[in-house]
Amino acid sequence: MDDWNLRPARDLGLSPADRLKSLSREQGLVGLALNAAWRRSVRGYLAAAHRFRVMGRENLPAEPPFVLVANHASHLDALALAAALRGPAARRAHAMAAGDLFFAGPAVSAFAAYAINALPVWRGRSRRGDLDTMRARLVEDRLAYILFPEGTRSRDGAMAPFQPGLGMLVAGTDIPVVPCWLEGARDAWPAQSATPRPFCPLSLTIGPPHRFPDAANDKAGWQSVATTMQAAVRRLAP
Amino acid sequence: MIPNPEGGVFAHPVTTGIIVATLAVLAVSGLAILWLSKSGRAKPEFRRELWLRWASWCVLLPLMLGPVLLGRAWTIGAVTVLSLLCYREYARATGLFRERVLSATVVIGILAVNFAALDHWYGFFVALWPLMACLLAVATIPLDRPAGYIQRVALAILAFMLFGAGLSHLGYMANDPGYRPLVLLLLTAVALNDVAAFTSGKLIGGAKLVPATSPNKTVSGSLGAVIVTTTLVAFVGGAIFRGTPLANPVWLVAMGALVSIAGQMGDLLLSSIKRDLGIKDMGTVLPGHGGVLDRFNSLLLVAPAIFHLVGYFVGFGLAVPARVITGP
Repeated sequence: MDDWNLRPARDLGLSPADRLKSLSREQGLVGLALNAAWRRSVRGYLAAAHRFRVMGRENLPAEPPFVLVANHASHLDALALAAALRGPAARRAHAMAAGDLFFAGPAVSAFAAYAINALPVWRGRSRRGDLDTMRARLVEDRLAYILFPEGTRSRDGAMAPFQPGLGMLVAGTDIPVVPCWLEGARDAWPAQSATPRPFCPLSLTIGPPHRFPDAANDKAGWQSVATTMQAAVRRLAP
Repeated sequence: MIPNPEGGVFAHPVTTGIIVATLAVLAVSGLAILWLSKSGRAKPEFRRELWLRWASWCVLLPLMLGPVLLGRAWTIGAVTVLSLLCYREYARATGLFRERVLSATVVIGILAVNFAALDHWYGFFVALWPLMACLLAVATIPLDRPAGYIQRVALAILAFMLFGAGLSHLGYMANDPGYRPLVLLLLTAVALNDVAAFTSGKLIGGAKLVPATSPNKTVSGSLGAVIVTTTLVAFVGGAIFRGTPLANPVWLVAMGALVSIAGQMGDLLLSSIKRDLGIKDMGTVLPGHGGVLDRFNSLLLVAPAIFHLVGYFVGFGLAVPARVITGP
C-alpha cells in the first residue's frame, strides 16, 4: 500500500511573527472565520456607503485558481475585488499587498494577514524564489490572487504601465487572468486621504478571462502577458 | 468519592506538598542554571537553551497548576483550551486543517465533550465518543468528494479521540470535590516521568527502545522512568486514596505503572506521528520545548487510563449534583 498523502501546513515551524509575513501562510479555522467576517462587513459597507455594483460577474471562472488584475487608485480596490467574489474563490482569495506598508509592524501585519488575507510583495526587492512560491501555490493550493500590476496606487487617475511580475505567475500555464476595471475608487478613497469618503459611488466591471499557455516563461513572455492584460483592463474603462 | 478534608484549597496535605515541591524544583533548577552560567562550565548555546526551557516552565506551571487550584470550572476551562491548542497543532501538522467542515466538526466535538464535563453529565460525556465517530464519518459525505475520504475521516476520528474524548477526562475529574491532589499528581508525575526517562537513559545507556520512532530513547531510560514514577505515584496515591478500596499496595503500584507506561506511550504516539510526517516539533509556541503537544503528549493517554482506574474503585463526583447546567 502506498503512503497516505499527508501534507503539513506550508508554514509549519515558523514563529508567529514570521508566519504572518510568509508567502506560505495557510489559513486555519480562525483565519477563515476572521476573513469571512471582515469580507462580509466590507461588503455591507461598500453596498451602503458606495452603492457598490459588480458588472460581468459571469466572466469569473467557476472555481479557482485564477488571477484578478485591476487598475489601482485606492486602498478600497483590494477590498472591493475580494468583496465581489463568492464561495471557494472568496475563501481562497489573497490580495498582493505592499510589504513596506501592510507588513510594516506586528499589528498591521496581523490585520493584513487575518482580515484581508494579504500576501506581502516587497517592492523593488522581490526575489525570484518568492515569485516561484506564489506561482506554485496558485496551482497547487488552487488560490485566487488579487493583483494590481501597476505596482502602486495612481495619484492622478491615469493607469500606469503594467509590471511584468504578473507574467511570472501565469506565463506558460492555463490559469485564467481576469481583467477588472474599478470606477470611482479614486474619489471614494484618494491616495492623499487617510480615510475613505462615503457616498462616492464605486463600480466594478469584470471582463472575459485571458489564458497564456503559449507565453514563454522568460522576460519577453512575461512582458507580453503584462502588455496584453494592460490592454484588456484599459478596454473595460468607460 | 476521593477523600476531601474540610478547610479550603490547601486542606489536603498532598495539594500543599505538590505545590511546594514544584516551586522548590523550579527555584533549585534556576539556581543550578545560574551557577552553571556563572562558572562558565557550559557552552553559551547550551546555557541559552537551559534558560529558555526554565523560563518556559516558569510561564507554563502557573498556567497548568493555577486553574486546578482555582476550581472546577477553571480546570475544565483550562483543559478545553489545552485540547483546542493541541488539536490546532495536530491539524496543521497533518494537513487536516484544510478540511474545514471536518475540522470545525472536531472543534465542536471538543467543545461539546468539555461542556459535558462542565455540566457533570456523565451519560453525554461517554456518549460523545461513538456519536462523534459517526458524525465525523458522515460529515463530509454531502461534499460529494470521495477522494481522500478514508484519510480525512481517520485523521479526524483520531484527533477527537486524543484531544477531545481523551484529554477531557482530565477536566471531568474536577467534578469530584477532592480532585485537586489527584490532578496535580498526574500533571507533575508525567513531567517527572519524562525527566526520569531522560536521566536514567543518559546515566545507564544501552539498547535503544524503538530507534526508528524515537532515536534517543533507551530501554534503560524507559524502565528507570517506570521505577521512579511508579514509586512516587504509589506513595502519593496512598496518601490521596487513604480509606478507599484503591488504597491497596497492588492497585497503587498498578496505578503508578499505568501513569508511567501510558505517559511514555503518549510520548511515543506523538513521536510516531512526527516521524510519519517527517517533522521535528509540532509547533514553536513554547521556546525550548517546541509545540504545546510536544509538552503535553504524555497526558493524552494518562488522563483516560487513570480516570477509569480511579472510577472503577472510587468513582468521580458520585455524591455531588449531576447535570448542573442542563438538569431539571
